[in-house]
This record gives sequence, structure tokens and C-alpha cells, in this order.
Amino acid sequence: MSSLLALLIFVAFLAAFGIFIIVGTSALGPKPEVSKAKAMPYESGVVGTEQKDSRMSVKFYLTAILFILFDIEIIFMYPWAITFMDFVKSGQGMYMLGGMGVFVLLFVVGLIWEVKSKALDWN
Amino acid sequence: MLTSTDFLFYVLAFISVFFGAAVVIARNPIYSAMSLVITMISVAFLFGALDAWFLAGVQLIVYAGAVTVLFVMVLMLFDLKHEMKTFSKGLLGNGVKLIASGVTLGMLLVYIWSTYATEPTFKPLPPAATSSIKATKDLATSLFTDYIFAFEAIGALLLIIAVGAVTLSRITGGTHHADS
Amino acid sequence: MGKDAFEITLNIVKMILIFLVMVQLVPVLVWAERRVSGFMQNRFGPNRIGPLGLMQLLADAVKFLFKEPFFPAKGVAAMYHAAPVMALIPGALALAAIPLSSAVIVEPFQWLGREFGPYTFLAQGYDFGVGIVMVLGISSLGAYSLLMAGWGSSNKYSLLGAVRASAQMISYELALGLSLVGILMIYGTFSFQEMINQQLGQALHFNALGKEVVISWLPNWGIFYNPLGALIFFCATFAESNRLPFDLPEAEGELVAGFHTEYGGFALLMFYIGEYGHMMVASALVTVFYLGGYTMPFYEITPAYVQQAWFGGMHPNWASLLTGVVFALVMLVKVMLLLWVFIWVRWTLPRFRYDHLMDLGWKTMLPWALFNTILTAAWIAFSWR
Repeated sequence: MSSLLALLIFVAFLAAFGIFIIVGTSALGPKPEVSKAKAMPYESGVVGTEQKDSRMSVKFYLTAILFILFDIEIIFMYPWAITFMDFVKSGQGMYMLGGMGVFVLLFVVGLIWEVKSKALDWN
Repeated sequence: MLTSTDFLFYVLAFISVFFGAAVVIARNPIYSAMSLVITMISVAFLFGALDAWFLAGVQLIVYAGAVTVLFVMVLMLFDLKHEMKTFSKGLLGNGVKLIASGVTLGMLLVYIWSTYATEPTFKPLPPAATSSIKATKDLATSLFTDYIFAFEAIGALLLIIAVGAVTLSRITGGTHHADS
Repeated sequence: MGKDAFEITLNIVKMILIFLVMVQLVPVLVWAERRVSGFMQNRFGPNRIGPLGLMQLLADAVKFLFKEPFFPAKGVAAMYHAAPVMALIPGALALAAIPLSSAVIVEPFQWLGREFGPYTFLAQGYDFGVGIVMVLGISSLGAYSLLMAGWGSSNKYSLLGAVRASAQMISYELALGLSLVGILMIYGTFSFQEMINQQLGQALHFNALGKEVVISWLPNWGIFYNPLGALIFFCATFAESNRLPFDLPEAEGELVAGFHTEYGGFALLMFYIGEYGHMMVASALVTVFYLGGYTMPFYEITPAYVQQAWFGGMHPNWASLLTGVVFALVMLVKVMLLLWVFIWVRWTLPRFRYDHLMDLGWKTMLPWALFNTILTAAWIAFSWR
């Protein structure tokens, strides 16, 4: 457990380092009067019209949901992958291959369906 | 005597409970979501403190790295002014928060009480694995032998969710139809 | 408790050392990148300050320190300032999980009348036994820094850049994760150390259809067992670290500078440290998975061998340390070559359009990674040693 404790202390160190840098550089740098035009959102010199919370494509949301689903499927393959060789050596390779085969088949069906339904198209 | 494992548990438990409370209390949904991230990460390290490092990694990848990214992204993408007004101020918002927290707390208390009131019957635990890679292999072996049906069912479930999500995203109209 | 305190201190010191190495490599890489870019475009790049322009790094760092602190008018202060700090953490943590050299073993000794040792100093910050799963988990937290920066600076270009970046990162994380399944099947472990140990040996050897095949002119590296997976993994890491040709999040032509439009000074540099940190993690992972890690091809060096070969013998502790140094240099050379490829590709390939990028991730790399998995599984099931 000592390495986990060390890891957490290291994270605290990194955060402290970052905060120190941010605070330190803002103390070191010049502090001129910031004009109103300078503090505006930078849009290459044009006065911005849009707000930051303007609406965006729902596509990003859909991408994120599909990502979660596929990510879970891939995570399930990880423990399977590291035990597969052991099972092959003990003669149960075909069983494991079949077990994952059905799962991967569902994965492929999902992927094909999404491509066909144009859910992954960005036009 | 406070060992380093105990110390670790208390620190992580405090962080997860504190930020868990912040998820409910924070007015701005973005801050709620960011607190949720920290809760997820500290829960992952709590798994790690129990030597379940594979689960800790999965918790980080799936919950902290995927599910909560979705929440944060959605909250940043959509205009949430109305929702913020409705749910962070006024009687209705606070009432909903209180009721939700109360119900959850009640369920937890009933669960804890019922566990302690009756004599606990634990199944004999399997012998502790010597390393986390061995523990992961044990996990995989039982997942793909004893629980193979549940595993395949998860595959089917994920497929259904994917189809459902795509179908729902295609529906036009609703509240956003008028201003598009 | 005394032993615990010693180990905790040791681990923290190692992690801080690795972090410092990472931070020190960033200006060198920035210099190399600007220099190489210059040569590739028939100009000089930074060459004025110091020999070969190397002092440019120092000048830049000092300049960054004395920049004016800026905060956009409509920004959200907490998010805006926390984002660059958050950018440092995943890269540094992930790099600390990768073994950069062999363990240094110190035999028991007596000092001041007390017994010490034996000690084993691993050349990595921490080892939880599930190596790659932890690294994937920690580096998947990198998306938050971008989202916080984009949202905190209240600029539509920043937010659009951040959202694009995170959508891109999560899309390629799938191909990245899936491309590793094949090689994990071959190694049968998550631990980096065991992977490196399995890539030892003089020559490539495997069983194919019941016969033993030995190819003596190739090293026993993972890339030859799983070339398709290696290719997909390496491509996906480009997208993960937001490098050209996948640098859509900061596409200058469309989005000003993406999520860090409103940043300047050292805060911007911290984003760069994060980006280069991701590149270093990616190169180190490719090295460990596919290029034999810190070991030398064809020559097996062990502390015992070093001890024998040194004139008149050598104390085992020093032999172990010397081996560690040699291995660390080998690792450094391999990682540097891969980082060079990152810079090289930047000036070779044009940037993708966003829909092409998503198509490549979801419709090309993900299916090919799946094909690689199925192929490897079938190969192992039907004809492996």
C-alpha cells in the first residue's frame, strides 16, 4: 500500500507544483491595465456575437454514448485476452474462443448496424 | 495504531464522501460533474487499496474516463440556464434535492441496519490471490466459466443500448424543434 | 512503520525524478521540433542563441515566466486556472508506471553496525501489477483538462476545440484499447516487466502449424508477432496526443488555437508539457509493447554478465547499477527515435478534415483492430507453441 500512498502524495505534489507555477508567474509578470477590448473572447479581432453556451451538434453526445458502450465491451476482452493462452494450453481453447466469439459477433453486429444507420457519419 | 492502509482508507473515504456531497450541493451542474469525477477517481483508488487493481483500472477507464466525460461534455454543450434556475434556486429545487438525499440516506440506513441486525452469513472466501495479475486471471476464469451466460447477456444488452441510443438521437421535434 | 516510511519516501522521490526528466525533455523536444521543422521547410529554425540555438530553450522558459497574467473577461476563474494544472497530472502519472530500466539490486550490507538490505530498486514510480490497465485509465483522464480549459475560457472557439478534442480522444481510445488485445493475448499479462522479459532472447521464434520457426536475423520483439496491432496502436497514439495529422482540436485555420486560445505564458507551456508528456508515454508504451522495452536486441545483458566482463570483476551492486544505466540509455534511444517519428509525421501528412478523422477512427481503425484481435485469437488457438 505504500506505493498507493506515494502515488497520492505525488498527485498532491503535482497539483502544488502547478498552482505554485500559476501563482508565481502571475506574481512575476507585469500587470498592465487590461482594456475591455483585450479581455473580450478572442475571435481574431472581430467583435464576438455568440455566447459560449451556444448550441452544438448532438452528434458529440451520440459519439460519447457509443464510445462508452464499445469501451465496456473492449474492457471485457482484457481479462479474456490474458487468460486465453492458459486456456489454450490446458486444451479449453475452443471453449474460450466460442465464448468470446459470440460476444465479438454482437460487437460486430452493433458496429455494422451503426455504420449502416449513418450514426457515425459527420456531414 | 494507524497503519498506512487505514490512513489511506480514511483519506480516500473522506474525499469520496466530501465530493459526493458536493455533487448534490453544488449549484452549477458543471461543478457537480467535476466533483463526480473526483469521487469516481477516489473510489477507484479505494478498490486499489483492497488490492483489486484491475477493478481500479476499469473504474478509471469506464467511469472516470468515459461515463463522466459524457456528463461533463453534455453539460458544457447544452444551454443549461433554465435547468440551473429551476433546480438550484427556489423551493422546488431544494425540495427535490432534500427528498432525493433523504430517500437515498434512508435506503442506506435500512440496508446497514438490516445487515447488522441479522447474523451475517458470509460465503467462505476463496484464498487470497498472491498478486494482482493472478487475481485478474481468477476473475477472468470465473467470468468465462461460471458466469458465461451473464457475460453474453451483457454483450446483447450493450447492443440493445447502442441501437436505442442511435434511434433516440434521430427523433426530431420535442422542445428543441421550435427554435431550430 | 519505519520500513513503510522509507518505501513511501523512495517512491515519491522516484516519481518526482521521472516527472523532472519529463519536464526537462519538453524544451529539448520543442527545440528539436522547431529545428527539424525548419530543415524540412528549407529554413533554419532557432539557431541564434547558444550553440545550435540550444540556449533558445532557456530564453523561452525565462520569457514564459515573466509573461503578463491574463484572464478573459467572461471566463470562469476556477476552471480556467485549474485546467493547465490538470494537464500535467495524467502524463506524469502514466509515465511513472512504465519501467524505464531494469531493477537495481543492492545486496545486504553492514553500515554503522546495522544490517541493511537486500534492496530492490525498481526503475519505475509504482507497480500495481496491472501496468497497462492503470496507464489506460490514468491517461483517459486527459480529456478533462481540455474540457475545463475550453469551458473555463468562455470562448466559442475554445469550447468547440475542447469538445472536438475530447470526442476525438474518446473515439481513438477505442482503436487504441482494442489494438492491444492481440498483443495481450500473446503475452498473457498486463505487467510491463513481464512483457519485457518475454521479449528477451536471441531471435524471433514461434510455432507455426506444428513446426518451430526460428528467424535468426530478427530480434524477438512484439512488433513481429503482431505488426497490424502495432501499426494501429501507434496511429491511435497520434490522435490521443492531439498531434498532426490529428491536431483538429487546435486547427489554426478553423479554430484560432483551439482549447488554449485564451491562454498565454506558463499556463500555455503547461499544456505543452501535457501534450509532450502524452507523446513520451505513447513512445514508451510502443517501446515496451513492441520494441523490446529497455533491452538490447540480440545481446542479452545481465548484471552477472557485466560483472564477469568488467576488468578483474566487479562488485555485484555496481554491476547491477551499470546494467541499469545501460538499459536506461537503450530505452532513451528507442523513445527518442519514436518521438522523432512524431515530429517527422507532423511535416509529412496534411491535417484531416473532421468527418474524415471520425470516419478513420470508427470505420477504419476500429474494424481493423477487431480483425487483428480475431486473427490473433484464431492463430493462437490453432497453432501456437
